Amino acid sequence: MANHAQFGFQDASSPIMEELVQFHDHAMMTALAICSLVLYLLTLMLTEKLSSNTVNAQEIELVWTILPAIVLIMLALPSLQILYMMDEINEPDLTLKAIGHQWYWSYEYTDFKDLTFDSYMTPTADLPLGHFRLLEVDHRVVVPMESPIRVIVTADDVLHSWAVPSLGVKTDAIPGRLNQTSFTANRPGVFYGQCSEICGANHSFMPIVVESAPLANFENWSSLLLSQ
Amino acid sequence: QSFKLLGFLDVKKVPCARESVLYGSLGSLVMGLGHFLATSRVRRSCDVAVGGFICTMLGYWVYCRYNLAQQRIRQRMLKEGMQNRILFEGSYLDPGKEQTGSERSDS
Repeated sequence: MANHAQFGFQDASSPIMEELVQFHDHAMMTALAICSLVLYLLTLMLTEKLSSNTVNAQEIELVWTILPAIVLIMLALPSLQILYMMDEINEPDLTLKAIGHQWYWSYEYTDFKDLTFDSYMTPTADLPLGHFRLLEVDHRVVVPMESPIRVIVTADDVLHSWAVPSLGVKTDAIPGRLNQTSFTANRPGVFYGQCSEICGANHSFMPIVVESAPLANFENWSSLLLSQ
Repeated sequence: QSFKLLGFLDVKKVPCARESVLYGSLGSLVMGLGHFLATSRVRRSCDVAVGGFICTMLGYWVYCRYNLAQQRIRQRMLKEGMQNRILFEGSYLDPGKEQTGSERSDS
């Protein structure tokens, strides 16, 4: 989860999010270079006399066409690489359905047996000491770690969005439509997210908690839930 | 703690950022000063210094990030190799196991 007054990304928990963080650093460094140039030019303009005897601007026009083109290429190439990486066809080990309702999520694991449960936010009054306010849920989404997971997201009533920043996942839940996303949690842990599309009064109170665990733990958890 | 240049680039946390800015500053100083010593033109030397800062900073940044990306790929390959070694140890897929039976060539 995010710390208080956090401004940057959360720590990456999937390969795609790692790549996104790297690209963000690259974009910020490019922005620093551009801002340095702009600040310098601004300082020059504020300190020079206002006069111009320029009649032929061929050179400057060439510079301010080629330099932006280079900047755009520097940004576009890694960006497109990540975009295509996100859409790679991989063979997921597990398919999970996430269905948005007002105002909770329900999940279905139907690959082997029908495991279905609802995930409601834990009210603050019932929150154990040390747990995170407005982020904890009664039933977490448990997934095996280091395995590609396919998530099919839809909604039952209005628009929602299934988002887990640490995994680099955000997919709109649209009634009557199935949207697909995938992720691989590359370490065990608990990853928090919140509904990311305005959906009514309790839009802020329908969080998502993904818990990635070793396969044996995942199997134990699913067996336990199925037996209940 | 973080130290953000212009409010958005955290040079303490971002790999290669601190070295890029420092090398950029050094390159800017060297090129600007060198140009001034050679031509005695202040205004043009300032332009060269700023251009040198940007070029040196971005140049070192690309070089450092490329090496970092290669290192991360090697780390992933090592990790996968270690996992596979543990998985295949003792089986016929173990690369460290001696060949036995009909596959021996000295029979």
